[in-house]
Amino acid sequence: MKSFLAIVLLELRRLWRSRSILVLLAACVGWMLAMPHLVKSDGTVEGARQIYVHFSLGGAFALTCIALASSGASVLSREREMRTLSLALTRPVKRFTLVFARIAALVASGAAVLAVCALVLFFNERDAGPCAHVLHPEMESLAEEAKRMYDYYMADPETPPEIKKAKKSVVMRILRQGALDHYQSIGTNDTAVWRFDSSALAPGAPLAVRLRFTNDFDMREDVRGDFSFGPWRGAISNITQAIVRVPLHHEEGGNPAAGAKPKDELVFTNNGATSLMLRPRKDIVLLAGADSFGSNLFRAWLELVSMLASLVAFAVFLGSGLGRSVAVFTCVAFMFVAVVSGDVIEQYPDQFETDRVDRIGLAITRAVEFASRPVNSLRPLSALSSGECVEKEEAALVVAMDAVLIPVVFAFLAAFILSRKED
Amino acid sequence: MNGIIELKGVSKTFRDFWLRPTVKAVDGLDLTVNEGEIFGLLGPNGSGKSTTIKMILGLLRPGEGEVRLFGLPPSDPAARKRLGFLPELSYLHPFLTARETLLYHAGLCGLDTKTARSRANELLEMTELVHAADRQVGGFSKGMARRVALASSIIGKPGLLILDEPTSGLDPVSTDEVKTLVKTLAKGGMTILMTSHLLGDAQDVCDRFMILNKGRSVAEGRVDAIGSSLQEYFLSKIGERRDFKVAPFLAQ
Repeated sequence: MKSFLAIVLLELRRLWRSRSILVLLAACVGWMLAMPHLVKSDGTVEGARQIYVHFSLGGAFALTCIALASSGASVLSREREMRTLSLALTRPVKRFTLVFARIAALVASGAAVLAVCALVLFFNERDAGPCAHVLHPEMESLAEEAKRMYDYYMADPETPPEIKKAKKSVVMRILRQGALDHYQSIGTNDTAVWRFDSSALAPGAPLAVRLRFTNDFDMREDVRGDFSFGPWRGAISNITQAIVRVPLHHEEGGNPAAGAKPKDELVFTNNGATSLMLRPRKDIVLLAGADSFGSNLFRAWLELVSMLASLVAFAVFLGSGLGRSVAVFTCVAFMFVAVVSGDVIEQYPDQFETDRVDRIGLAITRAVEFASRPVNSLRPLSALSSGECVEKEEAALVVAMDAVLIPVVFAFLAAFILSRKED
Repeated sequence: MNGIIELKGVSKTFRDFWLRPTVKAVDGLDLTVNEGEIFGLLGPNGSGKSTTIKMILGLLRPGEGEVRLFGLPPSDPAARKRLGFLPELSYLHPFLTARETLLYHAGLCGLDTKTARSRANELLEMTELVHAADRQVGGFSKGMARRVALASSIIGKPGLLILDEPTSGLDPVSTDEVKTLVKTLAKGGMTILMTSHLLGDAQDVCDRFMILNKGRSVAEGRVDAIGSSLQEYFLSKIGERRDFKVAPFLAQ
């Protein structure tokens, strides 16, 4: 433990005295303060808040990731070049400690920078309302739907032969993606019913429906309809293609906590002149009031710091085996591919239709996307900006995986490389 | 095996990226350093001294043979706990002060804060660095940096101190101080293994020595038993001397 603390202190002093942490802090806080003056919102208070929260903390997080990943990739290689690593290796310290302490020091500095940014955000947005738990409709799983569709297409004589000949795993992946975008149609004066697990709802919590309809032909037609969810009611009247939030009101008035637990079914009646469509897996959710913006911001900060820990651990691992410039370049290139990989995969899902080179490129992109999943999701930022709750269980899982398990694994791998790499 | 350091039949061949052998740096070396003695590992450039020391420190793995430190493999933290090392160049973190450097190494040795602070103060006094204790070592002269490195190598009060060219680059006064310090540490019970090109210094300090040439031991014995200066003895054992052909260059 004493050697661990000695190395942590060494790294913190290096970051402080090289002024890199101060420059990073100034850049991040400057970005947080400048953001409201730099971006245009959609004209609504909610839209302005959403953009500010997402891009201010998101920008600071991106800057912190780039700075600390570069620092992490060079921390061991620099020490090897300076020969101070050889000297440390003659001391009675485990190689794992030598690596893990450095990861801990870098993550601690990043956590401090992000904490200051989160405080700036909190003071700017302290009047933001409470966040909301998000409930999705209960439906058959993506895998089940994909399997059902696969069986249907394989039995259908009109299915093109190249699809029938394609690998089952590839077709299933495309069908799973397609299931996400599965549309449901609601005709004029028809009703649609979606089931939600209401057992998770706290009695008395305010409820709202967030949805986005589309129309068969026209993107800008008026939509009218009524929602009911047990004793809760709500009405909608807006232009299609917009994301709307429909607050639900308790029908009997008074305190809804007393025996007013909603039923499981959300019913929508289309009172408009045209039929409507929506993708139930993407376009409709139930929002139930949760805790304050501050608590949500704390959980989002925890998740971001955890993601940073994974990234820094990966960078330090690269630096254990590669030269400084190669390690930094590899780390930054990996970060770039990780960020764009999701979009690339979404743009080119039909793997069996592309040529060999494209297939290889897609396979690499998929591999990077898979490997970088712990860090390439910006879920805490999008949840925080849209007022969704960063759930405690989700935050705990991310901390356990990204801040503990992944750094420990990378530290062991780096320590192994250090033990194999001769001076 | 019962010495503090024991090497038996140790060989080390360096290889290139494709694992093809490039140079055999150490070839079948047997070496024993006993408790309390000052042992000099001597030899010309490229004779395998640094490779041997790195194998003793656990920074290199021998290709053949066995290395033991206090009867343990060099990679064992229990062996390294009793080891101090002063490299040929003072590898210091330039952003740390002299005191912080000593406290950092004390931390790596697992010393508690109170002991670390008191030993750091003692060593700063011993090396006459009290006035510069809170200055960053990046701005130190070579001699001062050497003293910080020496102090940090003994902060854990090791049983074995390995010194690689301890007087390299020092002025005569500092060289004399280092030699006196080495003798004092040995009198205090510390075993010392040192390498040096300065054979006069080695003769002043060492009890026993080994001369390496091309990775092999060519002579070994007690310094007081050679009957001549170590310089002459060394040249007689190495046997070859390069005469640079300067005349053609000057004639152009």
